[in-house]
Amino acid sequence: MRKAEIWVSLAFVFLGIIVIADSIRLGFMWGMTGPESGFFPFYLGVGVVIASLVVFFNTFTRYKKEGAGKPLMPPGALKPILWVLIPSASMIVITELVGLHIAAALFLLFYMRVVGKIGWAMTLLVGIISPLSLYIIFDKLFLIPLPQGLWGGYLLRF
Amino acid sequence: MVENINNLMMGLQVVFQPYNLMIIVIGLILGIIVGVLPGLGGANGVAILIPVVVTMPPTAGIILLSMIYWGALYGGSITSILFNIPGEPWAVAATFDGYPMAKQGRPGKALVLSFFSHGAGAIFGCIVLTFFSPVLAEFALKFGPAEVFAVMMLTFSAFVGLGGKSPLKTVVAILFGFILASVGMDIVSGQLRMTYGTVVLMGGFNFVVAVIGLFGLGEIFLTVEEGLKVEGISTRIGLKDIWEGLKDVIRYPRALITGTLVGVWMGFKPGGATPASFMAYGFTKQSSANAAEFGKGVSPGIIAPEAAAHGAGTSAMIPMITLGIPGSPTMAVIMGGLMIFGLQPGPMLFKENVDFVWGLIASTWMGNVLGFFVVLAFAPIFASVLKVRFAIFMPLIIYVCAIGAYAVNNRMIDVYYMLLFGVLGYLFKKLDYPIAPMVLALVLGDMSEQAMRQALIIGHGSPLVFFSLPLALPLMVAALIIFFWPVIGPLKAKIFGKKA
Repeated sequence: MRKAEIWVSLAFVFLGIIVIADSIRLGFMWGMTGPESGFFPFYLGVGVVIASLVVFFNTFTRYKKEGAGKPLMPPGALKPILWVLIPSASMIVITELVGLHIAAALFLLFYMRVVGKIGWAMTLLVGIISPLSLYIIFDKLFLIPLPQGLWGGYLLRF
Repeated sequence: MVENINNLMMGLQVVFQPYNLMIIVIGLILGIIVGVLPGLGGANGVAILIPVVVTMPPTAGIILLSMIYWGALYGGSITSILFNIPGEPWAVAATFDGYPMAKQGRPGKALVLSFFSHGAGAIFGCIVLTFFSPVLAEFALKFGPAEVFAVMMLTFSAFVGLGGKSPLKTVVAILFGFILASVGMDIVSGQLRMTYGTVVLMGGFNFVVAVIGLFGLGEIFLTVEEGLKVEGISTRIGLKDIWEGLKDVIRYPRALITGTLVGVWMGFKPGGATPASFMAYGFTKQSSANAAEFGKGVSPGIIAPEAAAHGAGTSAMIPMITLGIPGSPTMAVIMGGLMIFGLQPGPMLFKENVDFVWGLIASTWMGNVLGFFVVLAFAPIFASVLKVRFAIFMPLIIYVCAIGAYAVNNRMIDVYYMLLFGVLGYLFKKLDYPIAPMVLALVLGDMSEQAMRQALIIGHGSPLVFFSLPLALPLMVAALIIFFWPVIGPLKAKIFGKKA
């Protein structure tokens, strides 16, 4: 837990430095028409750097004294999380190709059958009916176009 | 007083139009389902619906969004009590005594107690909303940029000083939210900021996408990690349960009043329903004669947090419509909905869109009263939603979240951001960085910055403009005191401790 804490606080310090850098490029002083563009972000960046550094040093001293503490995740928790994260990320990538509804249907079928170990009948029923009904509700009834991807327009033609 | 009641009556006429009534019922049912399902909460439930709402007339659209919130407030407790699984963060405190009581064979009574307390908290919140918000709006008309900025400071100081989390981490979370808000086009000068030459970052970060990721996916990761096991207690609510619940609500007036007052206060000052419910539980337990019985299924332990949660929910509407400052993440998303319709929340709303404002206030009355009966009649049915296997509804929630994230701006990149915010939300929760102030900072970022720059221009660059009399000074001083409270509090205790 403390290791993750240290890394996150360092990430915030880094973020703050990037923000400060861009604010300096934009100008953070008093310009022709009042405060320049970088004025507000500059102080935000400075604030993040200072606060995160304090968090970092606090955690670091405790880390030296008391060790790493509890792990960030309880043992065995990483697997189920990755089983959600990777398929849903794949769904988004596949969306670029075949559109959201078809990608979601694949995602639903995969997750329910492979991860959830749910019977075929139920899997097929939910995996096909829900994308179909959401497609009709959003794209046809409310006329909110959802991503079609490269080939989605050819695949869903009704 | 009389004028307010007249206005409320006018609002009720809007609400009683058949189309709006239908919207209210649909919104409440959707809201209760959203409340029951873990991973789909008030904030992201509302966020997902924003694209749908845009196709409706403004009043009906905003009524639908707020109904989701009221429904979710009622619904979150059902699963807390029956399954020990809070459907919403503000329902966590309801598990302390609600689940034990349900386990002792009184699930019906526990539910009735919870709903009655919710109802009472809501009604009190509505009364304050009706009579106090016009006064506040009138007052806020006098605000200039310096005062607006001071109110913003007060809002965020409240999170730092009174939020209960690590003050430093709260500061980091708030600043991070502001930084995300400043990415993209500078609203004053039109320059591109923090884009580092990329086209993707030019559009900036939309807070609706952030809400869907942080509250939706982040919550799902947490649920998956804990491994959701549903061990339900099945129930029916009989007339006897209603009678006994009502008797107990009357028998413990102190719990009810504490809960309601804490709730309305916490909702009014930013903080929202979740800390309110914990605070009310703590207060009632401390002041109770039989504190040892708490956690074993006593009635006041259900009454206080539930009344507080709903009181906070309804009164969070006051700062949102009068000052344009949402008191909770869900209110922030509803405010986002208002802005999409071109309605700028703030004191002018009471002058320019009288119909709309009072329609909304009247719908809050209607929704909370109707919600009580809906939830009382159909609680067992809603509870059975959770009997559906988690592996079935979890991917569906992610799917719906993706639809919502995409449809906000019709941008594919937002769906990737949603996933990123999901991981971020999980990390933040694990490492105790508060999410709510970060979301509010992202929402209020542009407004705060604009107010600050305008005020500085008015003051010719002198920061003293933020301490000008009569209004900015007290607001700013209050903000500073609250901000440094984590330092002042122990110091005070030390000094007074030594004297004694």
